[in-house]
Amino acid sequence: MIAKPPSRAALLGTSAASVVLFLVVWEACCRAGLVDPIFLPPPSAVLAKALQMMGEGTLLGNVLASARRVMMGFLAATAIAIPLGIMLGTSTYARAAFDPILSFLRPLPSMSWIPLSLLWFGITETQKYSIVFMGTFAPALVYVIEATRNIDPLLIRAAQNLGASRWQVMKEVILPGSLAQILSGLKVILGLAWTCVISAELVAAREGLGFLIMNGKEFFQTEVVVLGMVLISITVLLTDFVFRLIENRVLRWQR
Amino acid sequence: MFVQRRDFIQRCALASLTAALPLGALAAAQGLNYGGSAWLGHYPAYLAMSEGYLKEAGIVQDWQMFGTSSARMSAVMSGGVDIACTGIVSALALMSRGARHFSIIAIPENFGRVEGIVARNGIKSIADLKGKKLGVTFASSAHLLVLDVLDRAGFKPNDVTVLNVPAPELPAAMQSGQIDAAAAWTPQFDSILRQSGVTLLADDTRFSLYESHKVTPGPDVLVVRKAFAQKNPALVKAYLKAYFRASELLRDKPEEAARALSKLTQLPAEDQMASVKGAEWYTLAQQAQILQGPYMEGLQKLADLLVKHKQIDKAPVVKDWIDASFIGA
Repeated sequence: MIAKPPSRAALLGTSAASVVLFLVVWEACCRAGLVDPIFLPPPSAVLAKALQMMGEGTLLGNVLASARRVMMGFLAATAIAIPLGIMLGTSTYARAAFDPILSFLRPLPSMSWIPLSLLWFGITETQKYSIVFMGTFAPALVYVIEATRNIDPLLIRAAQNLGASRWQVMKEVILPGSLAQILSGLKVILGLAWTCVISAELVAAREGLGFLIMNGKEFFQTEVVVLGMVLISITVLLTDFVFRLIENRVLRWQR
Repeated sequence: MFVQRRDFIQRCALASLTAALPLGALAAAQGLNYGGSAWLGHYPAYLAMSEGYLKEAGIVQDWQMFGTSSARMSAVMSGGVDIACTGIVSALALMSRGARHFSIIAIPENFGRVEGIVARNGIKSIADLKGKKLGVTFASSAHLLVLDVLDRAGFKPNDVTVLNVPAPELPAAMQSGQIDAAAAWTPQFDSILRQSGVTLLADDTRFSLYESHKVTPGPDVLVVRKAFAQKNPALVKAYLKAYFRASELLRDKPEEAARALSKLTQLPAEDQMASVKGAEWYTLAQQAQILQGPYMEGLQKLADLLVKHKQIDKAPVVKDWIDASFIGA
């Protein structure tokens, strides 16, 4: 007899129960004195801080400021990385020419760009966008190149034998064939963009989740630090959800 | 060449004995981890080490570098650092959270003219800052100086755009015109002052509590990790003797001290001398009066001021963290 697969509601219930259990254990450890709240605040303190900041009207401002920086940097990076990656993925010569530059850029952490970005863009929002851009551009480019190179060459040759032009091969074979992998890569890059925004908000920021965490750290307000971390996770989950909706819509033909 | 078994054993025994001799000598010396940086508050600890005062006292100091006071205090909290000099703002932030892991055991110095607000061409007074961009490292003593000076000048929070700029970036930001004014401490403060056409608008002597209690916005305090001090009280006492011997060198022979410090700070000789002479170096004999006198009232008022400017949630009772037992008081 084959066991009946668990229902969606049962799976959701299990996930919710594990979250609640985790929070209860965390809270109990703090209240019992097993964990010093200076090192790790209880969830109730984090929630109280969140409510206080919501009351003061500063919480949403911080989330929106970071979200704007992430989206601007991420969109700029993908707008360049997608066409460039497809071109590099399909042209051996172009790839040979660009590979050394990409190999140089790829290992650089976003934080290493802070001194130069300050000189180039000054203490402006553009400087913060540029940090997110530089931290996400090279990884996004690598994902797109790999997605493009993974297209079955037989499909390309078949299209060419049937008389398809270069543009038609690109539009009808390469782009649809690599889109799924590009989109799943971009989901990872979007998460990476949120780590870059922490570096971006180290300098000349007055708001944002990165600023919130760094300022909280300076004053040992660990509940503010944890709140900032939780908000980053929630925002990434939300953007991931939106991304999945877009993915389902764009790749409807694949299902 | 053949080596006989007996020869081999004899040589091994001799080598072991030779190696064990210095180890034995080292075992007599007691070690501690010090949290430092190139900031002037650490000069006595560095000189005590470089001039051999600590060695004479049988103490081996492991010098750990930290970029900020908060990072240094985090290391104290986690047990990685035993003794550290720190800006009081970080210590007060922890004290306001009820952290009992450390005690304040001494006040190294008082600096009033090595930190301040400097403005570019055309800005001649604090009043002229209205509508301008001012760069300062948030959560620093210079930040508190800015908040205090602007508050006393009658500015509202958004009258001046106060930007969070890390201390090392401030000179370049001023030079390139990205900010109209900067609040910094030495060595960036000296570097900005050397730029052409700049005006010093205020230094720490303009801070409200300096006028009443001779307390600067971020005075340095020497802290010890409580668990370490309880286990090694004699070591902490001996450490302080060597430490304040170095303070006397700074006060009585600044040229000699400045020469030794250049290895730590990499400052040009002239700036190094100005930095040494820019502070009043306290002696061990002065500590009892400082730790139990009006200066402490000033630190308490500083905690209250941090609450007023919303830097910390509540003011700790500073005297509860003072431990004058190691200075013989």
